[in-house]
Order: sequence, then C-alpha cells, then structure tokens
Amino acid sequence: MSAKATEGAHGRAQNDAQRNARRKRTVRLPHIAMLLPLAALMVIGFIAVFAPLIAPYDPNDQTLTARLEPPSFTHLLGTDHLGRDVLSRLIVASRFSLAITAVSALISGVAGTLVGAMSGRIGGVVDEISMRVVDMVMVFPDLVVAFALASLLKPSFATIVLAVSIFAWTPYARLARAITLEINTREFMDAAVALGSPPAFIIRRHVLPNIIGPILAMGFLRFGQMLITIAGLSYLGVGAQPPAPDWGAMLAEAQPYMRRVPTLTLIPGAAIFITALSVTLLGQRLMLRTQLRARS
Amino acid sequence: MYRLIIRRFLILPLIVAFVSFLIFLTPLVSGMDPATVVLQSQVLDRQPPPEAVERMKRELGLDRPLLLQYAAWLGRVARGDMGRSYLGRDPVSEKVFGGLQVSAILAFVTLAIALTVALPAGVLAAMRPGAPFDTLVSVGSQLGVIIPSYVLAPALILLFGVQLGWLPSAGWRGPEYLILPALTLATSPAAFCGQVVRAAMLEALSMDYMRTAKAKGLSGAVMIRRHALRNALIPVVTISSMWLAGLIGGALIVEVIFSVPGIGRVLFDAITASDIPVIQASLMVIVIITVLINTAADIVYIFLNPAIRLDSY
Repeated sequence: MSAKATEGAHGRAQNDAQRNARRKRTVRLPHIAMLLPLAALMVIGFIAVFAPLIAPYDPNDQTLTARLEPPSFTHLLGTDHLGRDVLSRLIVASRFSLAITAVSALISGVAGTLVGAMSGRIGGVVDEISMRVVDMVMVFPDLVVAFALASLLKPSFATIVLAVSIFAWTPYARLARAITLEINTREFMDAAVALGSPPAFIIRRHVLPNIIGPILAMGFLRFGQMLITIAGLSYLGVGAQPPAPDWGAMLAEAQPYMRRVPTLTLIPGAAIFITALSVTLLGQRLMLRTQLRARS
Repeated sequence: MYRLIIRRFLILPLIVAFVSFLIFLTPLVSGMDPATVVLQSQVLDRQPPPEAVERMKRELGLDRPLLLQYAAWLGRVARGDMGRSYLGRDPVSEKVFGGLQVSAILAFVTLAIALTVALPAGVLAAMRPGAPFDTLVSVGSQLGVIIPSYVLAPALILLFGVQLGWLPSAGWRGPEYLILPALTLATSPAAFCGQVVRAAMLEALSMDYMRTAKAKGLSGAVMIRRHALRNALIPVVTISSMWLAGLIGGALIVEVIFSVPGIGRVLFDAITASDIPVIQASLMVIVIITVLINTAADIVYIFLNPAIRLDSY
C-alpha cells in the first residue's frame, strides 16, 4: 500500500513536472507581449519622475538664433520655433501629461468603484438612482463637454481633472456593480450578513478585495484612452499653459511649421502614441488574466 | 423590454432640462460678463465705461432674477431663436445649423469608409485565423484603435498633402477636402469594427448551425453570407449607431486640424472669442443630438439582442 502511495506521489510529481513544462511553453509567448510594454512604461515612468535631471537643457530656454534646427549632436531632436531644445521639452512634458492622467484615472476609478460596489450591494433605490445617473452620463459627448467645461472654468490642473473625471467614472461603476452582484450570491456573503456585519464593513472587507483585480485591469485599459483625451484637450489649448511644456501643446505649437520641420510634429505625437499603446497592451493582458482566473 | 425602452425615453426630458440649465449658466461659470463682452466687440474698447456696461446689462435683461432669465432664454431657444452672435451679429442658428450640416456629412462619409474597410477585412481575417492576412488585420486594428486623431492627421497631411501633393490639407471647398478628415476619423472606428466583425464571425463559424448548413449541402459562400455574416452584423449595427453619435461632436479636434467648418469648429471658435450665444447654442445642439442618437442606439441594441429582447422585464 505504501509502495502504491509512493508510486502515486511519484506519478503525481511527474505529472506536475510535465504540466509545468507545458505551462511554461504556452505562457512564455504572452509573457514577452507583456514585458515589452511593461519595459516601455518603466522607461517612460523613470523619465517622468527624474525629468529635470535627465533633460539636457532647460526646456524653456530660448535661443532665437537657433530656431527650427534639424536634429544634431547638440540638439538630439532639434529645436522648436523659439529655439528651445525639443528633447528637453519632450522629457519634461511627460510629467504634466502623465500626472494629470494618473490623478484623473485614480479619482474616476475610486469614485466609480465605490458607486458600483454600493449600488450592487445595497440595491433597491440606491441601485436604481445610481444606474440611471450612469446611463445619463454615458450618453453625453464627453470630449466636447470636457473641452467646454475646462476652458470656461479657465484651464488648470484641477479643472482638467474635474472635466475629464466627470465622465470617466461610469465604466468602473458598471463593472464594479456587475461583479458585486455576482459576489452577492456567494456563501461567504450570507455568512457575513448572518454574523451581523454592517454593510460598509462587508463592502470593504468582502466586496472590494474581490473586485480590485478586474478594476485595475480596466484602469490600465482606460488610462491609455484618458491620456489621449487629455493630450487632445491640451492640443486644443486646454492643458498646461505656455510656456510650460506639454505633449499635446507641443504638437499644436509645431503644426504651423509642419512643412518645414516635419519631425517637430511627429515626435510629440509618437510619445503620446507609444505611451498610450503600451498602457493599453498591458491592460489587455491584465484583463485576459483576470478573466481566465475568474473562469477557473 | 418595453420597460427598458420607456425608461430610456423618460430620462430624455430630464437630461434636456439639466443640460439646458447648465448651458444657460455658461457666462456665470466662466466669469464672463455678457454686457462687457458685447461692448468690447462693438466699440473695440478693452475697458468699456461702467455706465455703458450697466445700460447694456439692462438692455440684455441681465438685471432680472436668474430663473426668469432662464425661462425667457429657454422660450427663445424653443422657438428656434438662439440670439445673435456677438461677433458679426449673424443669427446664431444659421451658424450652428450650418456647422451641424457639415459635421453630419463628415460623419456619414467617415462611417461609410470605416464600414467598407472593416467588414471585408474582418470577414476575410476570420475565414483563415492565424494566416498572414489575419495577423495583418489584428496588428493593424490594434494600432488603429489607439492612434489619436491629432497624431494621425499630421502624418496624413505630410504624406498626401505635402509629399505626394494629391489632396488638399485644410479647408472646405469641395468633395476632395472631405477625404483626409474622413480618413483620419475613420481609422479608429474601422479598426475597432474590424476586430468586432472578426470575433463575431469566428464565433458564428463555430456554431452548430454552421455544421447543419454544411450538412445541408450549402455552398461556402451561401453559408457565410446567410448564416455567419448575418449574425456577425448585429454588433456592427449597434456600434455604428453609437459612432454616429460620437462623430457629431467628437470630430472637434479633426475639424480644428483640417479647418472644417463643422459644429465642433463653431464651438471652438466661439470659445476662443468668448462669443457666449454661439457657445450656448452649439453646446446645446451637440449635446442634444448626441444624447438622442445614443438613446436610439441603445434601443436598437435592445431590439437586436435576443438575450435582452426575450427577457421578461
């Protein structure tokens, strides 16, 4: 019997080893697809954090004798219409664009998740009202209203965050509510209620830990979209106010000189595109992973 | 199902009331004083004398209680009289509806381009999953969904407007001026639609009814057309109607880049010039039209989705 047991254990170990080997082979490919955007984001994040230390020149230093210069060894990406170093501006600009996106994403994510979790847990009138508000907000032309709102309120960090977040919380609310409704049917929720836990405690202790994964994945997915919206607002003049560098504003400033110096327009555009693409690819991977975990 | 639709309709008057009040408050929110703005534009005086401002305030009815002003404004708007622009004194409605017409043309052309590219691409990609064409469609749509219009537009202008010199890169003087803005706007819907069609086709092709169709002896083309494609088109219809809504105001950035005089551009210029009546009218029109089309899209979705349609509520 003991021989049988060891044989069984041995066989199981062998099975595990085989399964691990197989898993390694299948997992490896998505891993690289995830690593590339992750690496890109880490580089971009590093640049944003240490921007003033990395930038070779002062981003607002004007040299009017060296206007619209093509890339060279002194100015790796050339100079703009006021003779400012494009590389330095690009590096420092990452800060504003990313910071404002991160704050908006955080605010809308937290607000949406709380609304959704409460709506799903409490139900009844609270659920009805908050979901009708979500329906209402979702049919609005968000870009137009955000642009009008931020520019009428005088563009600043706070007004842009407000204008963008007003619309951005709804998908989180829908997702959080859907998952909460699912969790409601689980036994540990009945147990928590039977033990007399107050609703706020249940949401904090049982609901939130269960919805945080998908919400984070969605956060990554929405971050790229949000960065594009915010850079677009700044392209329209609702962003960092000149002379402060900002990706969208750099793009707008470069436009009149597009024929003469095409790189001037293409470079900030590429920065926005690459950042948004990396975050989105990462978000898709995370989403896939949480969905797989939910299924298993 | 009918309760769901009725609920969608009941919410509309609420939105209109809410939005119109907020838009009415535009001058208050922005700290712009309409009387001062009018005087500035009329006499080109940066600092009009206070007595003149007071007189203009009385003339514009700004000394009355806020709710009365709102009622009067709403009454005028409902009759189609949106006032006159502070600049040039044209009737606002002419400006706004002219812009709306341009935006609508642009939106329909964009949608047409997006669908003509995405439908065949998605279907062909799904026919042979994993083939080079499928990979091309997948990678292309992945990039196309994300690329922002203000990044794509300069690239297209540089390529077709400057390098090749085939197309005009700004303005609105003929059909050829439509092409670059519409291409820019169509990229992201086309990419997304391609993904959706591909996924829907793959799902439809794996269904039992496809095996039945094959067993019945239907030819490949008929099988695809009559069974797979028909089911795969449902999400496309919903998505297209939602895009139409998004394109009315959402073309704002593209209209600014290509100097297309659409409604987004009208709003942009009005905000730059502090032209309050035009800001209010164009915002109102964009919001209401978007809300209406979006609601219609929701209802189309409810009708087309059997899971919801057959639900009892």
